[in-house]
Amino acid sequence: MKFKNKQTIEIDRELSELDTFAIDFIKILHQHSPYVIISGYVAILLGRARASEDIDILIPKCDFSTFTRFYHDLKTSGFYCLNAEEDADVYDYLEEGLAIRFAKKDTVIPNIELKWAKNTLDDLSLKHTINVKVQNETLCISHLELQIAFKEKILQSPKDMDDAQHIREVAKEYLDIALIQKYKEMLHGFY
Amino acid sequence: MGFIEENEQERKRFVHQWAEYVRTHTDKVWSHQQNVIINSSMQSAHMTREQFFKMKRETHYIK
Repeated sequence: MKFKNKQTIEIDRELSELDTFAIDFIKILHQHSPYVIISGYVAILLGRARASEDIDILIPKCDFSTFTRFYHDLKTSGFYCLNAEEDADVYDYLEEGLAIRFAKKDTVIPNIELKWAKNTLDDLSLKHTINVKVQNETLCISHLELQIAFKEKILQSPKDMDDAQHIREVAKEYLDIALIQKYKEMLHGFY
Repeated sequence: MGFIEENEQERKRFVHQWAEYVRTHTDKVWSHQQNVIINSSMQSAHMTREQFFKMKRETHYIK
């Protein structure tokens, strides 16, 4: 794992089924919208020894026609939405601020949990991203400092604390510890 | 030390040891090990859409 600079990590890893699933989805998504991968899959991509049934992704708000083009491309590539089928119904969930989930046809796990950025913290995640290069593909993840701060300060479950510890240790020569603290203070006022 | 504290320490020790393994081995080596966990978990994960949303407490998210 090479931390090339603040915006790029290279991982010469063997792909898991979860990685392949994420890459297949991202190949379609990035043609239609900016995005950022957040939460558990970030730690897993960086080597954490656990699986996950879903991958969390944030996108900025988009209009209905952009969404329908994206949803159409997903369906033609073998994905379906677990929440609803009709374009308008799926879009309604996003407008209500809820997450929508996509899996490959005839499966439920793994799935993508996709939601619109709805607050300044989500906007921050979308703005400060890192490109992770794996097997000639690029996945865009949130700043590691923000992920650690959010898991340690807000989520705090054993799984999230372990994810944060893993990221802290594998990226220890790269992380800006003062920035983690700054994000924690920001989160304290936010939640 | 109680069971919960002991369990937590054991978990943290494992996370530390595994992170050290990731740091000191090539990506190909650690990811091969990691994929045993991930791929077996994916292959054994059979659930209906309804069961999944119930597990996630998102039953009102389905139409």
